[in-house]
Amino acid sequence: MSEATQAHAWMPVATIDSTPFEELGYVTLNIELEGTPPKNVRYLYTWRSANGLERGQTDYQRLASFNFLPPHDGRFFLNADVSDTEGVIKSAGAWANIGDVVEDEFKRPPIPDDSVPVVIDVNDVSMVFNKASEQYNSLKEYFIALARHELNFKAFRALNHVSFSVRRGEAFGLVGTNGSGKSTMLKIIAGVLEASEGTCTVTGSIAPLIELGAGFDMELTARENIYLNGALLGYRKEFIDEHITDIIAFAELEDFMDMPLKNYSSGMVARIAFAIATVAEPDILIVDETLSVGDFLFQQKCQRRIQELIGSGNVTVLLVSHSIEIVEAMCDRVCWIEKGQQRMTGPTDDVCAAYRNLGQ
Amino acid sequence: MSAWYPDRQKSVYILRQLVLRDFKLKYRRSILGVLWSVLNPLLMMTVMAAVFSTMMRFSSDSIPSYPLYIILGNVAFSLMSDSTSQGMGSIIGAASLLKKVRIKRWVFPLEKVLFSMVNFALSLVAVLIVMLAVGVLPTWTALLLPLFLVYIGMFCAGLALLLSSLAVFFRDVMHLWGVVLTAWTYATPLFYPVEILPNWMLVVERFNPMYHFVNYIRTLLLYQQVPSLALNGACALCGALMLALGLIVFRKTERRFILFI
Repeated sequence: MSEATQAHAWMPVATIDSTPFEELGYVTLNIELEGTPPKNVRYLYTWRSANGLERGQTDYQRLASFNFLPPHDGRFFLNADVSDTEGVIKSAGAWANIGDVVEDEFKRPPIPDDSVPVVIDVNDVSMVFNKASEQYNSLKEYFIALARHELNFKAFRALNHVSFSVRRGEAFGLVGTNGSGKSTMLKIIAGVLEASEGTCTVTGSIAPLIELGAGFDMELTARENIYLNGALLGYRKEFIDEHITDIIAFAELEDFMDMPLKNYSSGMVARIAFAIATVAEPDILIVDETLSVGDFLFQQKCQRRIQELIGSGNVTVLLVSHSIEIVEAMCDRVCWIEKGQQRMTGPTDDVCAAYRNLGQ
Repeated sequence: MSAWYPDRQKSVYILRQLVLRDFKLKYRRSILGVLWSVLNPLLMMTVMAAVFSTMMRFSSDSIPSYPLYIILGNVAFSLMSDSTSQGMGSIIGAASLLKKVRIKRWVFPLEKVLFSMVNFALSLVAVLIVMLAVGVLPTWTALLLPLFLVYIGMFCAGLALLLSSLAVFFRDVMHLWGVVLTAWTYATPLFYPVEILPNWMLVVERFNPMYHFVNYIRTLLLYQQVPSLALNGACALCGALMLALGLIVFRKTERRFILFI
């Protein structure tokens, strides 16, 4: 092993004196360096609250412990960047639970009983695509086919008699492998696609996460994009004026607000999209794969926000994913669609177990 | 107060935001910025006046000022060509949005028409400059301009709606439209006097909506007369018919857009 790698063979480890803390008071973050640490290291401490709305940092210092005075009860993440003279930076951090904090374990909402009103009612929905007519992109092809009487054939059923209903306050998951018809179902619920057969009734406002390239313009700044996006989602101008700082804070983009979006990473854009969609309490929040581009910290934050929204009792969340983990963590009920067929609908554990069996 | 607009106000606000976006994008990172909307028609007119009055020796006693004649034809025609060529691709351009969010689909072609009208309003500054330069001062007939905007606005909106829905099903339209616009430019007396047209062509011109629109704005600002009832009728009819056609086609087809975008 070379000398250089030897010198870098160290790792900071963070500890917090004890959690949870009964009352407000100083919390101490201690960093120990394991392995063979370099002689001169400096520490940069940062902290942020679980929802990211508050944050702070100290200057570089030589001491390996840091006293943090929590502003209020809640969960805080204390972090230290340890840098040596060669410019190597390694980080370590830990969560501190202050006061009466429930553990971070995401709780699924309970399955509501029949008295709770239905907000999404999918009743025997089928979607038939006319495969042939979809392929004509030019007049020539169209007329050739017309002359040969080849139009209007080859029906393809993207959804075959799907029925389910979602009650208010639920977190409902829609799972299925790629090309199973999830997106088609989602489009029908969002009201942008009409079902060929059956009905889909939705009560209340729907907020989707607008993805990169849709309601965003790469040349505009983040601030301008927030207004554009807000308009497309139907927010009042005064409402956005009032909440723009919340949106910026939630997306953690204070320093980048007047930079054109093209300089942003896709994760940053996803953060804005989520922040806008959830700044008000929509009746129905549609969460799809757009979210998966964010980093894990932001995903945690989103999950917490979604939990807050569900907790309010007014918001219903529709989660669409082919990754079963996130659905399992958040949803109370799940509908599994496979190749257009509704395979199973029911409590998360049952459906997820069956869905997992598919791969084995 | 609720955080959301009711449906109609929502569409209006979306229109506003989209026009604002296009406006910002058009002038971002250009030094002269919005000044280009004034400069462009002026420069265009200079080139055309130079080419056609000196080289091709177009002139006519019936035209009080040839530069003004050209710029009026040009700004009216580019209002139509801008709004239709941009409106045409607007639905396809908004594809990813239309697949996710429930928005009135007509806002996209209509927004392009509105944006072109904003530009048209700016190019009127160029028209005013030319008027002052050639000594044709605007009279009270200029107050009838809003009426002109209503006529041509209806026409452009109808055509943009029609083209945007056709383009969804047949992308060929997008390639073809550039050619049509070029042919239309030559078929409309924008830079040549009407007198040089043969008689049969004058008959054809009656069916050219742009001929009437260009006539209308020239009557207001160049000849400074009140347009005749016949001209008003022709413009109103062209506008109303095109808007009706555009709306019918758009309404009939818009539900199937999502299958093709």
